[in-house]
Amino acid sequence: MTDLLDIRGLTLGFRGLNGYTEVLHGIDLSIARGERVALVGESGSGKSVTARIILGLLQETRTARVAGRVNFDGRDISSMRARPRAALRGTDMSMIFQDPTSSLNPTFTIGRQFAEVMRRREAGLSQKACEARATAMLEEVSIPDPARVLSAYPFQLSGGMNQRVMIAMALVNNPKLLLADEPGTALDVSVQAQTLTLMQDLVARHNTAVLLISHNLGVVREFADRVYVIYRGRIVETGPTAAIFDRPGHAYTRALMAAVPRITGAGLPEVPEVSDDFLAPMVTHPEAT
Amino acid sequence: MTRALRILASNPLSLIGLILVSGIVLAALLAPWIAPFPTHNSAVIDFAHANQAPTARNWMGTDLVGRDIFSRILYAYRISLGLGIVVLVIATPIGTVVGLLAGYLGGWTESVLMRLVDVFLSIPPLVLAIAVLGVLEPTLTNAMIAVTVMWWPWYARLVYSIARSEREEGYVLAAEVIGAPTPHIVFREILPNCLPAIITKMTLDMGFVIIIASSLSFLGLGVQPPTPDLGSMVAEGARYLPDSLWMTVFPGLAILLAVFGFNLLGDGLREVLGVDE
Amino acid sequence: MALLSVENLSKTFQTPRGAVHAVRDVSFAVARGECLAVVGESGSGKTTIANMILGILAPTQGAIRFDDHALPSRRRPEHRQAIQLVQQNPLSSLNPKRSIGASVRLGLDTYGIGDRAGRWDRVAAALEEVGLPPEMRRRAPSALSGGQRQRVGIARALACEPELLVLDEPTSALDVLVQARVLRLLNDLRARKQLTYIFITHDLAVVRNVADRVAVFKAGELVELGETRQIFTAPAHPYTRGLIGAVPVVDAEELHLRNTLAGEN
Repeated sequence: MTDLLDIRGLTLGFRGLNGYTEVLHGIDLSIARGERVALVGESGSGKSVTARIILGLLQETRTARVAGRVNFDGRDISSMRARPRAALRGTDMSMIFQDPTSSLNPTFTIGRQFAEVMRRREAGLSQKACEARATAMLEEVSIPDPARVLSAYPFQLSGGMNQRVMIAMALVNNPKLLLADEPGTALDVSVQAQTLTLMQDLVARHNTAVLLISHNLGVVREFADRVYVIYRGRIVETGPTAAIFDRPGHAYTRALMAAVPRITGAGLPEVPEVSDDFLAPMVTHPEAT
Repeated sequence: MTRALRILASNPLSLIGLILVSGIVLAALLAPWIAPFPTHNSAVIDFAHANQAPTARNWMGTDLVGRDIFSRILYAYRISLGLGIVVLVIATPIGTVVGLLAGYLGGWTESVLMRLVDVFLSIPPLVLAIAVLGVLEPTLTNAMIAVTVMWWPWYARLVYSIARSEREEGYVLAAEVIGAPTPHIVFREILPNCLPAIITKMTLDMGFVIIIASSLSFLGLGVQPPTPDLGSMVAEGARYLPDSLWMTVFPGLAILLAVFGFNLLGDGLREVLGVDE
Repeated sequence: MALLSVENLSKTFQTPRGAVHAVRDVSFAVARGECLAVVGESGSGKTTIANMILGILAPTQGAIRFDDHALPSRRRPEHRQAIQLVQQNPLSSLNPKRSIGASVRLGLDTYGIGDRAGRWDRVAAALEEVGLPPEMRRRAPSALSGGQRQRVGIARALACEPELLVLDEPTSALDVLVQARVLRLLNDLRARKQLTYIFITHDLAVVRNVADRVAVFKAGELVELGETRQIFTAPAHPYTRGLIGAVPVVDAEELHLRNTLAGEN
C-alpha cells in the first residue's frame, strides 16, 4: 500500500517588495497510514508552513508560490481545485493548534461547534446523532460530564479541558491524518504531558496518522515513530526516533540534542548558534525492520 | 522614506491620492504665481466679463462680478488647506495628550477625561460648530475655533484606545520597573507607538475638515466675502442654477478632488505605517 | 547573609467574583550571589511574587527586606536601582519605536549613573558584556533576532548596576540553541558581577542546570524549598514529583531518573 502522505521536492517562496524569497528548498517527507511522524525544528525553519501547505492553505495565498508534489491519499493536493481541497480539511485531515482556547470560537457552545465539524463530513446529520457522537467522543478523551461540556462555551472551561475538546473535535470525523502544531505548548507542563498521552492513545485506537510539529525534542521522542529534522527549509536528518536520538548523525541534530538541558543536571554545554556544518547534506537512518 | 514612497506607488489608488494631494498643495502654494488673474482673490469687479461660461480666457468661467473662477479656486485651496492645518495642529495635540493620559493612567483620570470626550462626541459636529459660530461672530478665526472644538475628541478616543493596549506591553513594564518618570513613559515610550495612527488619521481628516469648513461657509457661517472659499462659492453659484452651471460645478469638483485625494492618501499611509483599524 | 528576604507575604486581589488569594503567607530568603529558582504552573502566584519584589504591586500583607532594609511599597528610584527585571518575551519588552541604545540607557538617565557624556560609553559596555557589538545601539529592535533582543533586555538590566536580577522566564520564548547560549551568558554574568538571581520558570530541566536552590509554588503557596540537587533526587512534595515526572526527556539517563521518581509515588 502506498503512503498516506507523500511529499516530493516541495519548495515554497514568497514574493515581496524585495523580490522572491525561498523558504522551503525541496522537501521530501512521507507518512504511512497510522504512522506517527514528527517534524522538528526551530522557529523559522519552515515546519509550520509545511503543515499549512499540507492543509492546502498556502496554495490559496496570492504571494506564495508552492511547487513540488504533495500526494495525500492518492491525490495530488497541489493540482487540486480550491473547493475539493477545502473539503478535505476537517474531514480526512484535521488539525490541533498550540492554544486550544483561542482556536475554539468563543461565541458558540462546544456542542454547536461539534455539530458544525461533523456536518462537514455528513451535511444532513441530525441534531440527535451529532450529540450522540460528540458525547461518545468526549468520553473517549476522559471528559467526565460530556453533557455539561457540550452546552458550555469555551471560556467556561479550563485550558486543559479545551485541549481535550480540541482533540476530540479533531478526531470526531475519523480523519486519516492529524496535524498537531506544537500541541499544548501554551499550557502547563502537566497538562501538556496529559495531552500527549491522550493523543497517543486515541490515534492508536483510530489508526490515525499524525504529523507532529514541534521544537521540543523531549515531546518528539515520547510521541513519534519517525522523525524529520528541519533546518532553514531543508530536511537535514531523518530516521526512526530511537536511531536519531541514540546516534544523531547531522551536526545540527547533534547541536540540538546537546543544547537541551537535562533534568539529570549535565550542565550547560557550549553549542554554536549557527555553523557551516549545519548546512551539511542530509543524514538518513535506515528504516528499522 | 523611499521605501514608504515605493509602497505607496505600488498601489494605484494610493498613487492617485498622492498625486492629487501634491497637486493641490502645490497649486495652493503657488497660487499667486500660477493663477491667471491673481488679483481676483479680492473684491475686483470686471463687469465686461461677468457671468461667462468657460472660455479660453477663463477656463472655468467667471462669477457674477466677472472674477475668474479658476483663480479663485486656487486661492480658496490656500484657505481650505490653511484652515485644515491650523485645526489639526491645534486639535491633534490636545486630543493626543488627553488620550495618552486617560489610557495610561487609568482610574479616575480615565473616567473623567473619557466621559468628557463622550459628551463632545455625542453632539453632531456640524450642530456644535453652528452653535459656536452662533454665539461668536462668523469670521475665519472663529470658524477655526468651532471646527477645532469638535475635532479633538476624535483624537482623544483614537489615542486612548492605542495607549490602553500599549500599557500592557513589556516595554512599558520595563520602564516602570526602572522607575522612569510618568512623562517619560507617556511621551517617549507610548506616544511614538501612537504616531503612525495619528498621522494616518490627520491625513484622512484633512478631507473632512475641508468639507466641514466648506459646509459652514456654504451656510454663510465661515469665511466671509470677498475672500474666496470653496463652500461660499458653491453657495453663491447655487442661486443661479441651472443657468450658470460652472459657478457651482467647478468649486464643487474642487472640494471633491481634495477630499478624495486626502482619503486615498490616508488609506495608503495606513498600509505603509502598518496601522490596524 | 540574605540579600533579599520575603516575610509572610500575601496578595489578595478583589475581583467582581470575590477575593482571589494569589499569594498566601510566603516566606523565603535569597543569599547574596545565589540563584534561586521559583517554579510553578499558571496560577501558582510566581509572577505576583516577582511583581511585589519589583515594586510593581503592593503586598496585601507581609514585608520585603533588601540588604537589611524594609522596602516601602511606594518605591523611589533609589530603591529600584538594585533590583532589575529581565522579561520573558523579547518581542514586546523592547519599544519598537526606540533604538536599542535608548532602551539600554533609560536606567542610566533615571538613576543618574555616570555623567551625561559618559552614558553612551556605559551603554556600549553593557552591550559588549552580553556579547553584542556596541554599534548595535543605533539599530531598531525589529532588526534583531529573538536571542539578540533578549541579550539587549539583559544589557538594559545590567546597565543599572543592579545587585539582584529577577529573571521572568528569560529563555522560554527562545529556540533551544539560543536558549543554551543565553543561559550560559546568565551563568557567566552572575559569577563575573557577583549578581543574585531570582529565576522564575516552569521549565524544570533549565532549573536543574542553573539554580542553587528551588522554591516550588502551587496555588499561591510555597510547597517545597530546597537545594536543587536534593529536589531533583528526592523531592519531598508529591506536587514537585508530579512536575518533574511531566518533563519530556531526551536521553536514557533522564528517563531512568524520571522513572525512579515516579516509582516513589
